[in-house]
Amino acid sequence: MPSVSNPHKTNEIAVSVRDLCLTYKTAIDRRPTLKARLKALGRGRKQTRVINALDHINLDVEYGHVLGIIGTNGAGKSSLMRVMAGIVPPTFGRVEVYGSVSTLLALGVGFNPSLTGRDNVYLGGLAAGMSRKEIDTHFEEIADFSELGEAIDAPMRTYSSGMYARLAFSVAATVRPDILIVDEALSTGDAKFKEKSLNRIKELRSDDRALILVSHAMATLLDVCNDVAWIHKGKLIMRGEPNTVIDAYREFLQVGKSAAIDEDV
Amino acid sequence: MTTPLQVYEPFRAGLPPLRRYWKSLWSRRTFISEFSRSELREQHFDSAFGQLWLILNPLLLSAVYFLLIVIIRGSSDSTRYAHLTATLFLFYLVANSLTGGVKSITAGQRLILNTAFPRIMLPISAVVIAIIKFLPTLAVFIFIRTILGLPFSWQMLWAIPVLLIAMLLALGLAITISCINVYFRDITNFLPYMTRTLLYLSPILYEASDLNAKLKTLELFNPLFPILDSWSRALVHGQVPHISYLLISLGWAVGIFLIGTYFFLSREREFAVRL
Repeated sequence: MPSVSNPHKTNEIAVSVRDLCLTYKTAIDRRPTLKARLKALGRGRKQTRVINALDHINLDVEYGHVLGIIGTNGAGKSSLMRVMAGIVPPTFGRVEVYGSVSTLLALGVGFNPSLTGRDNVYLGGLAAGMSRKEIDTHFEEIADFSELGEAIDAPMRTYSSGMYARLAFSVAATVRPDILIVDEALSTGDAKFKEKSLNRIKELRSDDRALILVSHAMATLLDVCNDVAWIHKGKLIMRGEPNTVIDAYREFLQVGKSAAIDEDV
Repeated sequence: MTTPLQVYEPFRAGLPPLRRYWKSLWSRRTFISEFSRSELREQHFDSAFGQLWLILNPLLLSAVYFLLIVIIRGSSDSTRYAHLTATLFLFYLVANSLTGGVKSITAGQRLILNTAFPRIMLPISAVVIAIIKFLPTLAVFIFIRTILGLPFSWQMLWAIPVLLIAMLLALGLAITISCINVYFRDITNFLPYMTRTLLYLSPILYEASDLNAKLKTLELFNPLFPILDSWSRALVHGQVPHISYLLISLGWAVGIFLIGTYFFLSREREFAVRL
């Protein structure tokens, strides 16, 4: 799916999110079991929890823009990314995607830790719908960019979390997708690699690709984004100039803290 | 304005659009082969000793069970041994599909949370791995059969449709159990008891004709019963299997496959929030 040359022009719509809602049920136990279910039988204890993750969100992402997404934990940022990537279907509303998408969500690559980095890159690419040939052409660059050296042929369980993050970012950014979605993955690398990945993001931006970054690092967002959206409790609160939105968000965090004390959350 | 490449809308209850699903599954078929290959490599089945273990393990198992039969019945013969190995090997194709399939979704968590793809690829890969592990044992059986001096005949070709039915059944079971495991993670712990029960309920340590009339009703509840009996009839005895058994086993396999796949496809869109 990913294309090397970019056919899209600046300000053309890349992703259009219309009136999007997401409600889902999830198990309360981290590891739901039949045993627990049977034990709870007749006690009326609930096994699942309904989560209203997104609440009527409207959002357009244009090519040539880097959209930063901010919000507190549990605001619905990751859910929004998953819906945009087609991983979770929306409950209501519509998402239109005009281009190939590469995702780097919270977990990155490394789907089977006992396999080597190389195997995992291939498997991840094939699962995303790339052909083996496409991965072949990108592989050298991925390995180079990640600076893993010989570790690329070691099982991924031997990797440090930084190595994981480096490989994941390299995969997502090297295949040159039309749209790149990165969810809080920039924060794990060391300073040098962070610099390098920020440069890659700027490169993609000037190449008129669309980027969506979820991050808590405000300085990073101020540096690379030309557009920031602030989500809170599944609602889009504010969208616009990075400075304005981030200032408003920071102010909210200060106020939120003192309000939280009163409410005894 | 160009048309969107992808549109994500709410799903109505039930199945996703099947034609599109199939297309995206088919375009990812290299994933299935690559996945099975790297998984087998990781389990060292690409080395000489790994391959040897693949054959040695079922051979030792059949030796142990043969010993059991000899002790319990007081006597045995070469046909009985051939029956035991043939059915035991096919049984392990199904059992390995189940043990491989049960964790396929939960183990693929990282991939599922990060990428949009037809989730059914994962249990399918588990069954492909089980089939790859099964093939050398089939060769071993043919070898044993030759050593034992059992006559070859064209009726043995009936084993091919039986094998296809068994594979379909294994696929259906793997798909079903991988989906159940998302909701009840302890199914993995029950699985050894289930396969063990299935082993004793199946005509492996005995032949279907040995069962007395009272116990015959057992076969109605075991999809493997008609499959293993037909398999043994064709491959060991060189006879045409009962057509009724073939039809019953085909019914079981298609039924379990369709119900399991429906169950899986209607649920797979929420796997990402359940893992």
